[in-house]
Amino acid sequence: MTITNHPLPEAAFTELADGGGSPATMRRLGDAQRSKHLMLLHAIAEAAAGPGPGSAAFRVGYEQLARIRDTAPGAAAWLLGLPHLGGWVHDTLIHLDQGTAADFGHFACLVAAAAIRTGLPVDLDVPVQDGRVRLPGLGSLLVASEKSWVRLRSDGARVTAGDEFAAEARRMVPDDGTGAGAGVAGWSGTRAIRAAGCGPAWTVLLETGDPYLDRYTLPMRTAMPTGEVADWRERVSSAWQIVAGRHRWAAQPMADVISVIVPLTPRSDTDLVSATTPAAYGAIATSWPPDEVTLAETLVHEFQHVKLCGLLDLVPLTASGDQRVYAPWRQDPRPAGGLLQGIYAHLGIVRFWQAQQHAETDPDGLLRAQVLFARWRPTIGETVQTLRETGSLTPAGVRFAERLRAQQQQLMSAPVPARAAQVAAEVALDHRLTWQLRHVATDAADVAGLADAYRRGEPCPGGARTWIQQDVRKVDSGLRSRLLNLRYLEPARYRALRADGVLPLSQADRLLLERSSEAAVQAYRTRIADSADPQPDAWIGLALALHQLPPSPPRAALATRLAQVAEVHARLADRTDPLDLASWFT
Amino acid sequence: MIAQEKDIETAIPDLGDIPVNRLAELGSSALAHSIALYRERLRENGIPLSSFQARI
Repeated sequence: MTITNHPLPEAAFTELADGGGSPATMRRLGDAQRSKHLMLLHAIAEAAAGPGPGSAAFRVGYEQLARIRDTAPGAAAWLLGLPHLGGWVHDTLIHLDQGTAADFGHFACLVAAAAIRTGLPVDLDVPVQDGRVRLPGLGSLLVASEKSWVRLRSDGARVTAGDEFAAEARRMVPDDGTGAGAGVAGWSGTRAIRAAGCGPAWTVLLETGDPYLDRYTLPMRTAMPTGEVADWRERVSSAWQIVAGRHRWAAQPMADVISVIVPLTPRSDTDLVSATTPAAYGAIATSWPPDEVTLAETLVHEFQHVKLCGLLDLVPLTASGDQRVYAPWRQDPRPAGGLLQGIYAHLGIVRFWQAQQHAETDPDGLLRAQVLFARWRPTIGETVQTLRETGSLTPAGVRFAERLRAQQQQLMSAPVPARAAQVAAEVALDHRLTWQLRHVATDAADVAGLADAYRRGEPCPGGARTWIQQDVRKVDSGLRSRLLNLRYLEPARYRALRADGVLPLSQADRLLLERSSEAAVQAYRTRIADSADPQPDAWIGLALALHQLPPSPPRAALATRLAQVAEVHARLADRTDPLDLASWFT
Repeated sequence: MIAQEKDIETAIPDLGDIPVNRLAELGSSALAHSIALYRERLRENGIPLSSFQARI
């Protein structure tokens, strides 16, 4: 028997590179994920040959999967495409590679879920955890005993788990809030959301219990009270109205592919974290979003990652490498693969805000849409260039990146109001300069040479050598940066905070936010000149204040060589005027 | 005459029509090679996580 690899037509590749994804292309990605999972299951099957109840349960499950696949291909396709299966398969492989104990038996639960969902007979031992048998994608059933394993049987219509549980298979369904599955003793359906809008409908699970989907940067929100579930249902439904109504290009493929939302537990009320992983294709994780527009943007953003993860499994676009570079949306230096993911996500984000500008009627909402469109639009082309310069792209990656750049060029022709463009440029500069002061190291000998030349009154001989080094300096400008962003993300909150006057801002920062630019320049200038210690946050403030004024030599120097200017200033160790020094660099 | 577009070569074997109980027959074939490549990637890079944090 011979096999061939999944075909990917050039047209499908191009479609994805352009940020889209037709139903046919998404089916291709989904089919490839199912093959990937089956391939990895085969690898696990070869390892699960030993004694023990877990291995035995896996083997029975694997046999039953073979039978299900022969008799009910749709049921097997559902199982092989389930993000829960993806999470478990990847964790199991990692355990096998690391020589640690793998949870083979959980596979029996997955197979049982597929059988029960489709009304197929099944008969196998399944593990009991915390008194429950998990049926991923469906729910869990209560086994009121101390047993660690229970025999789960179904004739297709009636399901039993030992002597402890019995129910009709057709009633063991997710809990979509309509009462389906309610009243079945011992059954707890996974929460589901049925969202309908003026476009395609979307059914998605709100997963709060599966340990193999608790795999993101923040913990899964478990034990969610009923009221909170209702809040999620309402917010997801509202966000879907926006996606389906105004962002049709994303809606249908998203409805076809995304089957699970994993709510995350944020560390603070002001954290908004979202995530995806190629180990769980079809799942999006997010903390509680502050409003439905933000959630709609998050869904579009994360769906871009999901699509790219699917493509990357088929076609490598970056080669491995250690180089880290600037990404305009991250605080840390990023590898080429991470940068590509960010660019692709931001293509979706830019398209989202482009359309959203025409939907917003509230002035604050409109400002947010305009600024976010203006903020992210230029970053795609700039970052594609950075990515190309790393030399880490494969030939397919180069073609992919150039398609992204072409998409960005089309987006650049759309007009942006001057006020939004100005705010966007300011926060982009703040982000870039903060990143540079944190992560751009300078050659000490070159800095010393520059300082000597300045002292001697010689012309600037050139720049110091620089390289990226994570956290080379500590920069404490978080509050100012957050306020600069709050101006358009939450204008009402920004106005309230400014009116309260309780924020621990420096006088220079207050002047900057008030756009008293000349006065802010003087305040930062004095602070830097008078301090014996380096003042990275004041240097950034000075650059931002100069940016509010007409072009000048110090403005140009600080926008392009801030780390070098600040290092030379620190080396001079006297009351050197920062503006004079900055001008000397140009 | 319109030239037919070539498919791009991919890294995942198409197992859509292969019965589960016949996977073992594929032995040291392309399947084993694909599995080895995937596991090597997993060992080298771990499972990447695309995580975005927006502070409000």
